[in-house]
Amino acid sequence: MDMIFITFRSITLAQRGERTLRTGGVDCALMRTPKWMENKGCGYCLRLRAGNESRAVSLLARDRVPYNKIYTQNADGSLEERSP
Amino acid sequence: MIYLDNGATSFHKPPEVLRAVQEALRTCANPGRGSHRPAMAAAERIYDCREAASRLFGCLPEQVVLTTSGTHGLNMAIRTLVRPGDPVVISGFEHNAVTRPLHALGAQVTVAGRKLFSPEDTLEQMEDALRKRPKALICTHVSNVFGYILPVEQIGWLCRHYGVPWILDAAQSAGSLPLAQADFVAMPGHKGLLGPQGTGLLLCTRPPEPLLYGGTGSASLPPTMPEDLPDRGEAGTLNVPGYAGLTEGLRYLHRTGIHGMARRQQQEVRRAAAGLERLGFTVFSGPCQLGTLSFLPHGDCEEAATKLARKGIALRAGLHCAPLAHESAGTLDTGTLRISYGHDACPSQTQALLTAARVLL
Repeated sequence: MDMIFITFRSITLAQRGERTLRTGGVDCALMRTPKWMENKGCGYCLRLRAGNESRAVSLLARDRVPYNKIYTQNADGSLEERSP
Repeated sequence: MIYLDNGATSFHKPPEVLRAVQEALRTCANPGRGSHRPAMAAAERIYDCREAASRLFGCLPEQVVLTTSGTHGLNMAIRTLVRPGDPVVISGFEHNAVTRPLHALGAQVTVAGRKLFSPEDTLEQMEDALRKRPKALICTHVSNVFGYILPVEQIGWLCRHYGVPWILDAAQSAGSLPLAQADFVAMPGHKGLLGPQGTGLLLCTRPPEPLLYGGTGSASLPPTMPEDLPDRGEAGTLNVPGYAGLTEGLRYLHRTGIHGMARRQQQEVRRAAAGLERLGFTVFSGPCQLGTLSFLPHGDCEEAATKLARKGIALRAGLHCAPLAHESAGTLDTGTLRISYGHDACPSQTQALLTAARVLL
């Protein structure tokens, strides 16, 4: 199953994002950002199913939760960065 | 014991505060430092605290910087806005948590508004001082010695009008009064917010200059502190049990409402002031007064406090770490005896105080 990763500048923003998405009906999981996604070192991200991306982005924009980047993990395991 | 020293710290915390501290000690590791369950549980407790504070004070969770005390927050805010030699305006009722950092920085301090219980004087003097465009105005919301409620809404309006950044010390008002929107609002977690000692909050409209530098669990590669709130102000491991307790204090206040709290405290202050005056003591009371009341016994303040402690009354004597406030009120030589009511203010406390106070006659 394709997965989406949304990275944040701090765990606090990731947590606010997590609550925003869940309240908006988008299931997601808060997790440490895989190292290759985070060029400044440690961070946190939200993982959610592909297909929820546009809903998630609009919810984050509505609640003014800034995020860094969005990555897609395809079913074959390959990863690609999406435009934020 | 009748505890009337809530200006120093609240003593009778809601039971859920104690339970939350214990639970956090049992279940939480280091927040923001891992993805295992105890680390994530700690991160949840920390976010809960920010969220509870943001709900009570009307800001975003990331604008809540967790500090170790009100003093810590004030130091951080002052270091953010004030450079050595900068002109700064303060009220005549500031605590050493404001005056000492300014002294250490070598700021040029103008004291504006020294008349006790006179919002008109406070505003007039502050506006005069603000016309000179100082780098910051720093003031307490409520005097920790006299309970004088400064007219902070109007002070905030003046600061915005003159374009002067404003730091509000809410040490004695947070949890009892609605707070004004300042650039920075500093408060302890262990007084009116009913949390444990070692906790505090700094509400920030912009990232503060760090007082401490170190690990934040975020953006670890650069040698500089992260630019973002709240991480910029939070180097090092956070006091998770403390903030877990503070969360419950904040939730308690949210449930019970702070308006009734202020009214109860003010009723008891008026009752205590009238009773102490009838006993012949000099009492400092007036309009715009919250739950704190200073009075002068006939002899030494410290000896009087000791006598009252033997009668089961816990209050505080001396200068209360605010010599400037005493200078303004003319009590620098004597100090005062201070009664400060808390969330449990009630007539029986006042009655017990007045009965015990006869030992001072």
